[in-house]
Amino acid sequence: MKPPVETLDTDVLVVGSGAGGAVTAAALARAGRTVMVLEEGPWVDPDALEPFSLEEMVAKYRHGGSCAALGRPAIAYAEGRCVGGSTEINSGLYHRLPPELAEEWERDYRIDEFGSEALDRYADRIEEELGVSRLPGAPPASSAVLERGATKLGWRSVEFSRVFRYEPNGRAVKQTMARTLLPRAIEAGARVVADCRVSRLVRRGSRIVGASCDQTLPDGSSRPLVVRADHVFVCAGATQTPALLQRSGIRWNIGRGLKMHPTVKVAARFESPIDHGGIPMHRVTEFAPSLTIGGSASRRGHVALALADSDADYADALAHWEHVAVYYAAIRSEGSGRVIALPGFRSPLVTYQLTEGDMSRLARALVHLGEVLLAAGATELYPSVTGGIVARGPDDLVHWWNALTRNRANLMTVHLTSTVRIGENWARTGADSFGRIWGFDNLRVNDASLLPAAPGVNPQGPIMAVVARNTDQFLADA
Amino acid sequence: MLWFERRVVGTLMSPALDADERSAVESYVSSTLQSMPEHLRAGVAAESILLGGRSWVEHRAGRLDEGRLRARVERWKTSKLDPVRQYVRLLHSLVLFAENELAADGT
Repeated sequence: MKPPVETLDTDVLVVGSGAGGAVTAAALARAGRTVMVLEEGPWVDPDALEPFSLEEMVAKYRHGGSCAALGRPAIAYAEGRCVGGSTEINSGLYHRLPPELAEEWERDYRIDEFGSEALDRYADRIEEELGVSRLPGAPPASSAVLERGATKLGWRSVEFSRVFRYEPNGRAVKQTMARTLLPRAIEAGARVVADCRVSRLVRRGSRIVGASCDQTLPDGSSRPLVVRADHVFVCAGATQTPALLQRSGIRWNIGRGLKMHPTVKVAARFESPIDHGGIPMHRVTEFAPSLTIGGSASRRGHVALALADSDADYADALAHWEHVAVYYAAIRSEGSGRVIALPGFRSPLVTYQLTEGDMSRLARALVHLGEVLLAAGATELYPSVTGGIVARGPDDLVHWWNALTRNRANLMTVHLTSTVRIGENWARTGADSFGRIWGFDNLRVNDASLLPAAPGVNPQGPIMAVVARNTDQFLADA
Repeated sequence: MLWFERRVVGTLMSPALDADERSAVESYVSSTLQSMPEHLRAGVAAESILLGGRSWVEHRAGRLDEGRLRARVERWKTSKLDPVRQYVRLLHSLVLFAENELAADGT
């Protein structure tokens, strides 16, 4: 027998609880609106699991971390699927949207009130609320490597701020949404329902009247749930937001134009042991925003994966894994992709096509990454290119230029954006300047999907600023 | 996890692992494959059936040679056919990550 359908009512329904959903929910709840947040993933205590561990991947990552955008080559990607979304699993590095990009997007997509001055006001507010700060004291060795290498080459490098607070005992605490804005939204009256997947939105003419959901109960069974709402914000991220809209029959410029930062990696071996607890906070910005060099998670499992990507003999390096750390170079890509909801499938098909220019930029990125690591004192470099030779000196890097081909490159990304772009240029966008979906009075998108392109920096800061701006506009309109 | 996937995972695991560790790694690989997007899982399963046909026949005839299977998997790691290379890379990545994370945890 089918379980009865429970129906809940709310003023504003927010689908998703990451950087988009949490900012939206907190602002609306504080403004006195009745808010319900539905999150597909579980609520996991932010302190319960070791960051970047196997247990965390199983509990907090979508598909356990095994997602890929199909194309030549396929690009592996990671997204959060838990209360707090990707803010629970990312590095916590924080950037504002570069002013030149804000101006470019404002012009190209005809986005109203999108100047960097306006966005900076919201960024100020978010930074104050979350606590964005630099590391007190000297950086760890894994981060200092990047600064040292860049200095030797005469390149620019910067220690970036992070969404971290530091406790009196020195413990660094990442200010994820499950730790900050979501509890504050709940305190202001919002309700957060975890383990609840929205299968589709319910339409009536040009209005959305609610959402059909499946809620997973603690015993593993599921029950249908209908949430009726006056207003709906879809904040499920750049793959799940367009998929939900498409499943609901909303398709105009939805899911097209996916953007990302395709990334190559290198496992670098050093003479001395290197720290593996966190993510380096330095970035080499000499070629930014088209190309950025930084450090990755380097637990033993990540080191093993990065070493194996080169297909060289890595047994000795793995035996001394404490001396190895993983670094990356990410590019702003000319290519683009699509998100397509497949009938009968829960997961959307994600594709991405790199251009020849992208492949060339990735090869350049790999070589520059090698240069900076060798300058910093690395003794062996294992590139994420099948058959790529292990570089032990600058002369070896010459071989990397031709090694990175579509059949040999092992690429990944963690930044996906731009599947429901904003702007008044109706032909190129899926939503207006403030995220309202074309043709609907009460349906808005408020997450990474709205950014017209990948920003070349960690997108959490730009996403939160744009989302806060859109939420303010909604409240002003109301 | 399909029969052939289990065999490939077995060949990719470090021989130094004990039975409990092998079981933990296999369990992680199995659960990750199960949680993959359906279309990707279907593609991996289709490859397992295609690539594993010969081994299945050999197994049924009682002639499956672990050494020969290992050599085959090693060849596939550098195959010029991207889907074949990616198939082994996927399974190898999962095995490696689990082996090394479990070792790091000391479990």
